[in-house]
Amino acid sequence: MIALWDTTGTEVVKALAAERRSAGGVTSGLALTLVAVVDERHVRDTEQAAMIAAQQHPCRLLIVVRRNVLDQESRLDAEIMVGGRLGPCEAVIMRMHGRLALHAESVALPLLAPDVPVVTWWHGDPPEKIAYDPLGVVADRRITDSAQSADPDGALKLRAEDYAPGDTDLTWTRLTPWRTTLAGAFDTADSAATSAKITADPHDPSSRLLSGWLQARLGVKPKITDSHGSGLSEVELTLASGTTLTVHGNDGTATLSRTGFPDRTMPLLARPLGEELAEELRRLDPDEPYAAALAATTGLKGLNDRDSKRVHIWHDPALAEKPEPEESETSTARTAKKPAKASS
Amino acid sequence: MRRSASKETDKTAEPSVNPLRDPQDRRLPRVPEPCALVIFGVTGDLARKKLIPAVYDLANRGLLPPGFVMLGFARRDWGHGDFEQIARDAAQQHARTPWREQVWARLQGNIKFVPGSFDDDEAFDTLARTLDELRSSHGIRGNAAFYFSIPPAAFPTVLKQLQRTGMSDNDASGGWRRVVVEKPFGHDLDSARDLNGLVDNVFTAQDVFRIDHYLGKETVQNILALRFANTLFEPVWNSHYVDSVQITMAEDVGIGTRAGFYDSAGAARDVLQNHLLQLLTMVALEEPVSFDSEALRVEKLKVLRAITLPEDLKRYAIRGQYAQGWVAGERALGYHQEKDVPADSTTETYVAVRLGVQNRRWAGVPFYIRAGKRLPRRVTEIAVSFKTAPHLPFAKTDTEELGHNQLVIRVQPDEGVTLKFGSKVPGTSMEVRDIAMDFLYGEAFTESSPEAYERLILDVLLGDKTLFPNSQEVEESWKIVDPLEEYWSGTTPYHYRAGEWGPREADDMLARDGRTWRRP
Repeated sequence: MIALWDTTGTEVVKALAAERRSAGGVTSGLALTLVAVVDERHVRDTEQAAMIAAQQHPCRLLIVVRRNVLDQESRLDAEIMVGGRLGPCEAVIMRMHGRLALHAESVALPLLAPDVPVVTWWHGDPPEKIAYDPLGVVADRRITDSAQSADPDGALKLRAEDYAPGDTDLTWTRLTPWRTTLAGAFDTADSAATSAKITADPHDPSSRLLSGWLQARLGVKPKITDSHGSGLSEVELTLASGTTLTVHGNDGTATLSRTGFPDRTMPLLARPLGEELAEELRRLDPDEPYAAALAATTGLKGLNDRDSKRVHIWHDPALAEKPEPEESETSTARTAKKPAKASS
Repeated sequence: MRRSASKETDKTAEPSVNPLRDPQDRRLPRVPEPCALVIFGVTGDLARKKLIPAVYDLANRGLLPPGFVMLGFARRDWGHGDFEQIARDAAQQHARTPWREQVWARLQGNIKFVPGSFDDDEAFDTLARTLDELRSSHGIRGNAAFYFSIPPAAFPTVLKQLQRTGMSDNDASGGWRRVVVEKPFGHDLDSARDLNGLVDNVFTAQDVFRIDHYLGKETVQNILALRFANTLFEPVWNSHYVDSVQITMAEDVGIGTRAGFYDSAGAARDVLQNHLLQLLTMVALEEPVSFDSEALRVEKLKVLRAITLPEDLKRYAIRGQYAQGWVAGERALGYHQEKDVPADSTTETYVAVRLGVQNRRWAGVPFYIRAGKRLPRRVTEIAVSFKTAPHLPFAKTDTEELGHNQLVIRVQPDEGVTLKFGSKVPGTSMEVRDIAMDFLYGEAFTESSPEAYERLILDVLLGDKTLFPNSQEVEESWKIVDPLEEYWSGTTPYHYRAGEWGPREADDMLARDGRTWRRP
């Protein structure tokens, strides 16, 4: 590991090349570059997650930490790691202070692995508009996490308004085990669904995406009942034949009930962040079912017809209407009482 | 989708497509329908080391359907509790995914044990009844796969029992009934035909799954991706550019406790007939029309039928047997000293043979194939060696260290691909030597990627036959091995010291052709 204090982008590029040489053939065959935009407190779990994901998708990991954007004094600190505890992954952790943080791409662009896809992941409050962040504009695939948003109710709406093919959200990824179970349960369905009921936290973006997915696929609009703090806990589908299919999730187990049959149980485990990220990195083309679910739940249309290319919009927080400190205050206050948790 | 009409007429009819399964939605894994897996010989090594752990891993990855039941059948005086304990130990010890008590607890509730011997009619009646009861207790509508983890000698008895009780009948059960057979698929063409006839007769041919676990390996499937997803390799993948192909399957272990089976089979029947010939077909086949099992099978059969044996079997079909020596720093017994091996055994533990593939693409390219036990290290790889450049515009001394360009597919361990080519030695003079460029699957990737058995069991339950050789393939490969066995009968294999790369005669075989074995 090399640590460079108060350095320049050129130095970082040189140091990475030197580390790669001295580490030998540790990382061979990079599949992609993963740019993670995180807060300082998330750096370790980002590394942890990338390490798990890199086992399936060997990658170059660029972690960008932005600090004190309003500060006029700019400074770049960098840590470089090749192999070692990260496994088949090489990582550059960059801490950008001051105005430099608004031009993060000037440091990141020369570090992108040549001619492999770029994935940008905001592990934290996602940007209001992805086009505001140049690191999102260069990416082929953009991963946000609406569950971390200060305003979970508005987060999905924001994502839908801003959607471009190639966007995806980890709240959708977290639904995969639930969707798998539901699709499995529906395999034995004897007729079409006539109504659907979801018991969940109505503010949880995952539950609302699930509702959107069911609506898009089954053509019925599910009713969401408040689960009073226990997250997504039950989905009930009523079929035209009168049969009811119920999937009840509790503590890593799904109980499947179907009229006329004994209950059955299956594992329904929440996965670590790294495995969710690995699922995201499997396919790097636009995720149409996500767009359809997002469209259904927010009522916006034509998401898949949008242009997948974004153009950077210069957005200076210093000139923004709301001053930065106040916003971060409200965000911590709201995160504290946010129940979240999608698939427990 | 049928909405109202079907309701009155046919209550059990399913909607033709599940609307929750969208072909574009590639996050949802393929999960089989509710079904039972019946394992005969569940107390054996294979079941404990591979099958039960693979079932646990599948459950852990959420790939088993709700209402999956595993039924164990074996001749033991056990209650349900004893078997559960054994299964638990096996899964805990050999599973590849992390141990989760919750997952096992749920799986355990769906594990049943039926004791009995194979000629015991009553035991099979109990088994049939147990399967029937699953219909109401677990919602399994007659789907069951029977896994034969038993010696081939017991096949006819078990098959007859399955036929007698009607368990093998798709129509009678109202669902699918599949059978999974492990190698050896007979010991020569005639016995393979008998066995195929028997199995295909009791079950229908399309419900028979023959396991060649090599085909479940990620790297073997990658051969097809490498060849047919790229433009770089296919243009040179023929006799114009390829000089020779070497396929090696080396093991450092001896025969262990398998003397009973191994001494009657030998290396050619044990691994050449199945694994090595399957690897060869993957390398040599033409582009299939699609990747469904039928299209792929057509191409594989074409290759198997085009394989020719050398005319001079004495020099190009070499058998070896290990004598005592040292392997990995430990003294190793010779084959004759192994437990239960007759002192005059002429069974081979090493085989090397030169095969040809007579078609336009491969005519004239030798395929050197070798497999052996007690070789220096465990490795399976395919090396495609290319012809040297027709003209080298360098001084002769500049390229002395330049060999053939090679593309090496490492099947196990260190799964990956190596490309070997000439490159200039840095310095003021012109000198060219071989260097290797490596693509390595991440170590952790190979650990966490599904084990071959996991993939294959899942495919059986899904009914996907792409990775399973059918009876024709098995018969064609015996047609290649039988003449070799016939020639070898009555001869004594050459000896090699345990820990050597086979007998000297195998080296001579390549030397005669102006080549050498690649050291894997």
